[in-house]
Amino acid sequence: MLIKADHLRKVYKMGTIKVEALKEASFQISEGEFVAIIGPSGSGKSTLMHILGCLDQPTTGKYLLDEHDVSRASDDQLAEIRNKKIGFVFQQFNLLPKATILQNVCVPLIYSGIRGRRRQQKLAERALQMVGLGDRMNHRPNEISGGQKQRVAIARALINNPSLILADEPTGNLDSKTGKEIINIFQQLNNEGHTIIMVTHDQEIANQARRVIQLRDGLIQRDEVIS
Amino acid sequence: MIFEILRMALDSLTANKLRSFLSMLGIIIGVGAVIAIVSVGSGAQSQVTSQISQLGSNIINIGPGISRGRNGRISFSATDVFTMELANQLLNNCPSLSRITPNVQSSGLLIAGSANYQTSVVGVTPSYQEIYDYYPALGQFITEEQQENATNVMILGAGLAEELFPSQNPLGEKVKLFIRDRKLLFVVIGVMEEKGTGAMGNLENQALIPASVILKKINNRKYVNGYTAQAVSTGVAKTAVGEVEYFLTRYLTDTDKFRITSQEQILDTINQVTGTLSLMLGGIAGISLLVGGIGIMNIMLVSVTERTREIGIRKALGAKRKHILSQFLIESLAMSSFGGLLGIGLGWLGAMGVSKIGGWPLVVTHTSVLVAFSFSLLVGLFFGIYPARKASKLDPVIALSYE
Repeated sequence: MLIKADHLRKVYKMGTIKVEALKEASFQISEGEFVAIIGPSGSGKSTLMHILGCLDQPTTGKYLLDEHDVSRASDDQLAEIRNKKIGFVFQQFNLLPKATILQNVCVPLIYSGIRGRRRQQKLAERALQMVGLGDRMNHRPNEISGGQKQRVAIARALINNPSLILADEPTGNLDSKTGKEIINIFQQLNNEGHTIIMVTHDQEIANQARRVIQLRDGLIQRDEVIS
Repeated sequence: MIFEILRMALDSLTANKLRSFLSMLGIIIGVGAVIAIVSVGSGAQSQVTSQISQLGSNIINIGPGISRGRNGRISFSATDVFTMELANQLLNNCPSLSRITPNVQSSGLLIAGSANYQTSVVGVTPSYQEIYDYYPALGQFITEEQQENATNVMILGAGLAEELFPSQNPLGEKVKLFIRDRKLLFVVIGVMEEKGTGAMGNLENQALIPASVILKKINNRKYVNGYTAQAVSTGVAKTAVGEVEYFLTRYLTDTDKFRITSQEQILDTINQVTGTLSLMLGGIAGISLLVGGIGIMNIMLVSVTERTREIGIRKALGAKRKHILSQFLIESLAMSSFGGLLGIGLGWLGAMGVSKIGGWPLVVTHTSVLVAFSFSLLVGLFFGIYPARKASKLDPVIALSYE
């Protein structure tokens, strides 16, 4: 079992007011699944994604990733888990604007301690070719289209060969045609065996996954396999 | 990994060239000021020192001591102490002394033809010229024999020769000397070189005659005012002072009767004063380094805020605290060290300009360069730590959602 979420609960303190962003979430995800987490804004899906992505930790409950309990890990341990096991794809692309595309894809390698610029670049080139951007490597993010940016982000997510790809509204900033292309890449990656969790508020996009977990007011409302 | 982080830091500095330069400016000016000021200080110092050592830093003055007047005793200057014999004994008993000459002088009216001139008359021995590094330009100096026989010969200072014998060769001419009720006739055997007014006073208008002439024919007494002695080398000047002190204490059985001052003591004092002065000025310049550091901290804080999102991205991709910390620390260190290097250049140029104007040698010591540079590094480290820590502690979720 890749992911085991057990009674996850997250409470934010905003001044004196406590906000229960995630009330209770328990589920399991196996390797090779393609899961869409769906829900309106305020449903707790972002909070859940942050916890699953090891960017944040649950207030109570247990989160096992690859059999490791990460709900009590330190900041630096979390960073290492993010680096080695999780590949992020964001709605805002989150590329470094001043770095070239090749450099952007290399960033996770820097922190995983892979030595040698040549070696890093070779890995990055291969990842970029996989998403069909082999010819744009020395451009900067502002010189390419949104769809291309998201492909760069996917290449970056893949470079450390993670156990889990976590996509947060990956088509949110794209037109529907480009969005579909990106979803196709995810489906293709899933077919190659990658585990993908995609957070979205768009039902149509969610339907492209194989399983949908629907959140509402911090609770799981629906969890079903759709294809 | 460190190379990558270094490259990232340099990339981000070069991406904001003007801003990086402006925040470096404080360090540049600070380091420049420290180096220029310390250099100007040591330049001026070395000029003063060299002027004094021109007189010979191995010169020792032996003069009368002054006894304290107490219990009804009247304070007096011990004048009846130093004889020509004692000078020879000193020279024989103090192996670190190479030469000694008595200090004895008088003043009188010199008359040559229709010209006359009131001036001081200095009693000298042949050693005088070596000790004072002051030689005749014309004719010759007083010989041992003339000193022995108290021969009436005279050597004129360059200025005095011009006064008494304008555009005329004074060698072999006769000069009359009136001192009090005495009248003596001298033959001019030499004219001294021009030396200008130095720390020893104006030598140009003096007349030099054998010391024995002053003692026997003018003062009618065997005592001189003191001696000027020369140590074998600068290195043994202190030893020589000790030897003279030891000998005179035994010989005179009274330390109140004499006083020894070495040129080196004077040098020490001057060096101390100028050293303190340039340290103080350097310290004041150091304050501007501190201000430069605050400038760097300011810009680093701005940079951290500006790049919150970048920090969030890097953290999401696996950057640990130490990675973010070192990235920003290296940035501030790079700024301060590069600023330090530019400052060294600037300080050097400034010191060169001032030394040209001041006419002293350009002295930029390794110490001042090293101290200023390492201080600028320290400033970069000190003022870089806070912003870097702030960056490294950012929560990735908050940083990622920062607009």
